[in-house]
Amino acid sequence: MTEHAINRTGEAKSHRTRRRSDLPFFLVMSGISSCFILLIVLLLAADLMFTSLEDFKAAVMKPEIQSAFRLTILSCTVAALLSIWVATPLGYLLSRYRFPGRLLIDTIVDIPIVLPPLVLGLSLLILFHLPIGGWELEAWLRDDVGFPVTYRWPAVILAQFSVSCAFAVRTMRVTFDQINPRAEDVARTLGCSRGQAFLQVALPQAWRGMIAATTIAWARALGEFGPILVFAGATRMRTEVLSTTVFLELSIGQLNAAVAVSLLMVVMAAIVLVVLRVLGTGLTS
Amino acid sequence: MNKMLVVMLGSILVLGGMIWMLQSDSNKRGTPSLSVDGTEDEQGQSLMFFCAASNRAVMEQIVAEYTAEYGREIELQYGGSQTLLSQLEVTGAGDLYLPADDSYLKIAKDKNLVSEMLPIAKMEVVVAVQKGNPKSIHTLDDLFRKDVKLVQANPDATAVGKVTRRILKETGQWDALDKSTTAYRTTVTEAANDLLVGAADAAIVYDAVLHTYPDLEYVTLPEFASGTSQVALGVTQQTRQPRAALHFARFVTARDRGLVNYAKHGFQVEKGDVWSETPELSLFAGSMLRPAIEDTVKEFEQREGVRVNTVYNGCGILVAQMKAGQVPDAYFACDTEFMEQVPDLFPEPTDVSQNELVIIVKKGNPQQIAGLRDLTKQGLRIGIGHEKQCAMGWVTQNTFREGGVQQEVMENVTVQTPTGDMLVNQMRAGSLDAAVVYLSNTAGSGDFLDAVRIQGLECSVATQPYAITPASPNALTASRLFEQICSAESQDSFTAEGFRWKVDIESSGGND
Repeated sequence: MTEHAINRTGEAKSHRTRRRSDLPFFLVMSGISSCFILLIVLLLAADLMFTSLEDFKAAVMKPEIQSAFRLTILSCTVAALLSIWVATPLGYLLSRYRFPGRLLIDTIVDIPIVLPPLVLGLSLLILFHLPIGGWELEAWLRDDVGFPVTYRWPAVILAQFSVSCAFAVRTMRVTFDQINPRAEDVARTLGCSRGQAFLQVALPQAWRGMIAATTIAWARALGEFGPILVFAGATRMRTEVLSTTVFLELSIGQLNAAVAVSLLMVVMAAIVLVVLRVLGTGLTS
Repeated sequence: MNKMLVVMLGSILVLGGMIWMLQSDSNKRGTPSLSVDGTEDEQGQSLMFFCAASNRAVMEQIVAEYTAEYGREIELQYGGSQTLLSQLEVTGAGDLYLPADDSYLKIAKDKNLVSEMLPIAKMEVVVAVQKGNPKSIHTLDDLFRKDVKLVQANPDATAVGKVTRRILKETGQWDALDKSTTAYRTTVTEAANDLLVGAADAAIVYDAVLHTYPDLEYVTLPEFASGTSQVALGVTQQTRQPRAALHFARFVTARDRGLVNYAKHGFQVEKGDVWSETPELSLFAGSMLRPAIEDTVKEFEQREGVRVNTVYNGCGILVAQMKAGQVPDAYFACDTEFMEQVPDLFPEPTDVSQNELVIIVKKGNPQQIAGLRDLTKQGLRIGIGHEKQCAMGWVTQNTFREGGVQQEVMENVTVQTPTGDMLVNQMRAGSLDAAVVYLSNTAGSGDFLDAVRIQGLECSVATQPYAITPASPNALTASRLFEQICSAESQDSFTAEGFRWKVDIESSGGND
């Protein structure tokens, strides 16, 4: 209605002013943003220029790298799924309830994030091999349970899980913080139990956050290297994941192969991230 | 709600499916030897091998050849030398350890993590440059130039850095080099990689590292001539399969097996033994040494899985055999005199122990013999070692001569034998009144015999040297036997048998 009342000259003038004032906004915003985007694109471009299609093909054809690829996909996915299963209830508890020791737990959750990766690996190794009055966790798992961990695939997953779960918990906590608890309170006044309120009211609203947490956990697990090297070792065809492949190739100066494997990781990560994003959109819609 | 249940169930199914896949993958490849208990029959069990990532290329070839020849699987566990060392320490597992250089092995040895160290190759400190040496780096001074970006491996964390710092501190050039260093890297390969990507113009590295870098070359500087390190393979103390681990270790360090691959990869390889699945080591040892070394030799055979053919005899007889052309891999003489008779065969002996001559008499010393002079008493029946057949006889004659009693005592000598044991037996049988033997010969005879010290004569003490013939195809194995002989347990048995320990263990390693 108001717009109709404004005369044509005034309308054109205000349009021009708006255009003039928007342009710097977009320029500054996109200028700053593009710095980062450009950096990533340049990194990838440099990688691409350093290696060749032949190197890439040669790397992908190696049975050791194929095996590392398979282990990477499986271990990252398992670590990410385990993380989201743990992170959802933990994030919810930390977000909704005030209980004694909450601050302490909140801090403990962050420890894997701040701990240097090698230290985390070493701590895991020590934990599994520390003799406590003649009893040792690894020996017990190996001899009594029949499920040895150190230097095997469970060690890879545990190392990945330790870090990626911490990130997932952070994400889930923020997710639940942003969801208004009022809806759950209302549900409870209408006869829902706490469990029902969580499952039927909070969770459906947290889907997007859960997808984000899974994504972040998966990506963290993919990049994990230090703890795996120390706790699971880098045995070819057994505990070698792609990040350790890069290390192994680098340590004998095979930079081409190392870059080729890195690019493979980039492609793999991009596909998984897109799939998760699409999945996320599908679920929330 | 339904959708959520489906997703939750789905995620559990995916999780279960993936874990099942991982487990079945792992089953297909067997479990690492971490879980293997020690058994008598080690055949076919895999070995866990902590190998520095820098040795990956060459080690993969050697392992493939070994597995093809003997069927035993080797679990290669790669990592940085320090990381692997920590893993070895924390887990208490692992059979073999090959760090990038032997400084880590020395640490491992000090921590009692490694028992045997088998040398593989030497590495020299060189300056790596880009192909064609575009910055024309030829002298140490070139590294101080402003236009040269120099990277080094950290002198606290890496051996090459340590060696560089030690050498240049001695010449007073370290501070200048330190100032011209653009960056310190945590490993030597990182320094080489910097050069490869163009982030540096020169890097101080080991020559052997550059084999996998065809785009780099190196300059040798006279300042670094003394900067060599060794690559060596360690067999862990905690291994439950010592025989299998040493079998593989011998394969890696054999001059016609593993060392061929190392030479191809640009390493200056050590001499190495000739490969044999079960090496037979021949050892000539004076018979006086038998009680002191017999158990040690047996234990060595057990752990190594090798055969040691030991010939115990009087040293004169042994020398005669050697002069006749029968050359053993190692010779453990009763006295330096009998080592010095075969200097061409054994140029570098190491003195191991000492043994003194004593006069043995019947329990209670009924003839009241208190020293050499008393042996001249008329009517005594005396037994001594044969001068030509054994070191003991030779030392005895020397002692008589120095003591000025040779002629008189020789009139009482009724028997001369090639070994001291024979004299002890004759004393116990009552056919002798006194005999001059080594203190070690009397061990175990305390109930029947008394020993009288010979005072004040240096020459009554015999020194036992050990040596390996350089021509031996098993020189390395023989030097490991020597290390075993120098072990604390072995020293105890030497002492228990009346020997005094002489060798300085620290310097005994390079006996070969």
